[in-house]
Amino acid sequence: MPIHEKSLIRPENLTTHEELTLDGVDVSGHWSTFIETRVVNDYNENLQEEIAALPGGEEIHRCWQCGSCTNACTVNAINEDFNPRYWIYLIRMGMESELLRDKDIIWQCVSCNKCTYACPRDVFPEGVMKATAHWLERKGHTEKSPSTHFDEVFTEQIVKTGKIEESRTMRRFFSRTGQALAQPWMIEMVKRMLRGLPIGLLTRMGLATLVAPKTNDWSKASAAIQEYIDEQHEKQAQALSLAELVETAKQDVAA
Amino acid sequence: MSKPVLIIGGGPAGLAAAHSLATVGKESVIVEKEDRLGGAPILSGYAKLVPTGEWAKDAIGGMVKRVEAESSVKVVTGTKVTDFDGSPGNFTAKLSNGDAVDAEAVIVCSGFTHFDSVNKPEWGFGTYEDVVTTTQVEQMISSGQGVRCPSDDRKPQRVAILLCVGSRDRQIGREWCSKICCTVSSNIAMEIREELPDCHVYIYYMDIRTFGLYETKYYWKSQEEFKVKYIKARIAEVTSDGEKLIVKGEDTLVKRPITIPFDMVVHAIGMDPNVDNPEISETLGIDLETHGFIDVANRYGAMGATSRPGVYVAGSATGPETIDDSIAQGHAAAMAVLSGARDLKTA
Ligand SMILES: Cc1cc2nc3c(=O)[nH]c(=O)nc-3n(C[C@H](O)[C@H](O)[C@H](O)COP(=O)(O)OP(=O)(O)OC[C@H]3O[C@@H](n4cnc5c(N)ncnc54)[C@H](O)[C@@H]3O)c2cc1C
Ligand code: SF4
Ligand code: SF4
Ligand code: SF4
Repeated sequence: MPIHEKSLIRPENLTTHEELTLDGVDVSGHWSTFIETRVVNDYNENLQEEIAALPGGEEIHRCWQCGSCTNACTVNAINEDFNPRYWIYLIRMGMESELLRDKDIIWQCVSCNKCTYACPRDVFPEGVMKATAHWLERKGHTEKSPSTHFDEVFTEQIVKTGKIEESRTMRRFFSRTGQALAQPWMIEMVKRMLRGLPIGLLTRMGLATLVAPKTNDWSKASAAIQEYIDEQHEKQAQALSLAELVETAKQDVAA
Repeated sequence: MSKPVLIIGGGPAGLAAAHSLATVGKESVIVEKEDRLGGAPILSGYAKLVPTGEWAKDAIGGMVKRVEAESSVKVVTGTKVTDFDGSPGNFTAKLSNGDAVDAEAVIVCSGFTHFDSVNKPEWGFGTYEDVVTTTQVEQMISSGQGVRCPSDDRKPQRVAILLCVGSRDRQIGREWCSKICCTVSSNIAMEIREELPDCHVYIYYMDIRTFGLYETKYYWKSQEEFKVKYIKARIAEVTSDGEKLIVKGEDTLVKRPITIPFDMVVHAIGMDPNVDNPEISETLGIDLETHGFIDVANRYGAMGATSRPGVYVAGSATGPETIDDSIAQGHAAAMAVLSGARDLKTA
């Protein structure tokens, strides 16, 4: 088919007609394939600001579209559709619906930061990927990813106790992501730990699982940290117009 | 008779300053650290210059001859200023050859340093012989040898020129645009196509900055008449499959990964601040600007004033400049010295 760069055109926008005559001219068949015009009319002019309001997205406005991040990207090497440069472009242009087409792969960034070290303008693309993934979650476009669940479980525990107790983190993480705790690899790991670790350490670990230790006098610090987190969340929610979003959703349901 | 003007550096800017001063009968001393005059175009063996197309050895060589023929210009080569003291109208500079020069004023024309591509290891310079710099290609052309792959002297069939090597890159602390390399690269691309019509030349760019009138004469001409191909992509890495160089990147306009074999890759290297600048700043007591070039303290009143009265600066010592602008600044700094001297007398 003689269309230049056909692969750039979405299949649904390509049409051919078995039988078609226009103004007396027969345009049936392959040689007169039509490309439907694509009109983007739902720009979200705040999109860049919204991403910039989330941690990691702050420097997105610096991007000059050189493509170094995509070139360097670990995930792009496996999946060509994973393209940080392109998403940054969509976000900066406010092309939200285009961005949403890729919502199920954006979270796949492995945070290797190769892009960060390649970017000539210090955009911090890894941070932008993280911010974009969080944006998708908070706007309700995607489910919370396993890594978000992990981060939350981890943070909640630290805020509450001032300490990290791994087995508790793992248990909560598994339960929130709906996975069974008795994973074969987990059982194997525990078995080997039992065999290899000194008795004293094992006893301490066992105790920690039971009593959930806390840093002394933690409650004040905990409250302060929680207050800060709530403040940040509130700011972000405002930047993302989440309240309005909820309001519209309510009205939709009512109507 | 009043004291001479000390000119540090004998490149296009310094040569222009000396010539201007000689024109009005003012004596000058050029202190040049290399063994001959001419600056980068002569020392690095540039070929045909932008925008005249004249050979550097004729154009800049002509400037050197003109200055050397002036009896009021004294030239000291292989020498630097090591110590400096005094006030406007009455400076003394000690030189590395043991001599001292009494001077009325100083014009710093110490130029720039070529970016060393080894500092961008992902682009293969220093690893693969056939990855070269624009300076090396200039030399291949000016020596009459022609453009050849250094590894085996063959004529390249495919050449990639990577722009902004050592410029516009926070990763290596160089935020400036080197101004001339886009134009120089399209010039080189045309020269390659002229010498080797079967050779395909690709230029990988982020922006094309063939500023002002150079748009027609270089960017458009190279595309339209010489069929040089421009691709909007910043290259990720240059590797080799043992035979050819492999250039990897993303063609950002069509959102496609590219992996293309080349015979030769050319780095369009940028203009760094002169490596001597910290030393020059310390010795002369003049400020550097944030990127490390010599700071120009007054842009409108006196051309090329530095932070120290009586010490002036011209050319690429102040930031990336073309030859013609460096020459203009050299002349202007000479004029500023003369008007500074008049102000001193009337004061
Ligand atoms: C690859 C390439 C190609 C280019 N081609 C063109 C072109 O075609 N057309 C164009 O307009 N421009 C071109 N340029 C830019 C051009 O090189 C500069 O504009 C020009 O050289 C600036 O002249 P200058 O006198 O300021 O500095 P320079 O040419 O750098 O001269 C400075 C002189 O000072 C001397 N010096 C340095 N430090 C000291 C010291 N501490 N003490 C004493 N002496 C010192 C140096 O040895 C040198 O001789 C090109 C640049 C590059 C990198
Ligand atoms: S951090 Fe994410 S976007 Fe950046 S290179 Fe790694 S996988 Fe790609
Ligand atoms: S490397 Fe940086 S500047 Fe280049 S496209 Fe990626 S984010 Fe933008
Ligand atoms: S002149 Fe062109 S190649 Fe040189 S730094 Fe500027 S944009 Fe890059």
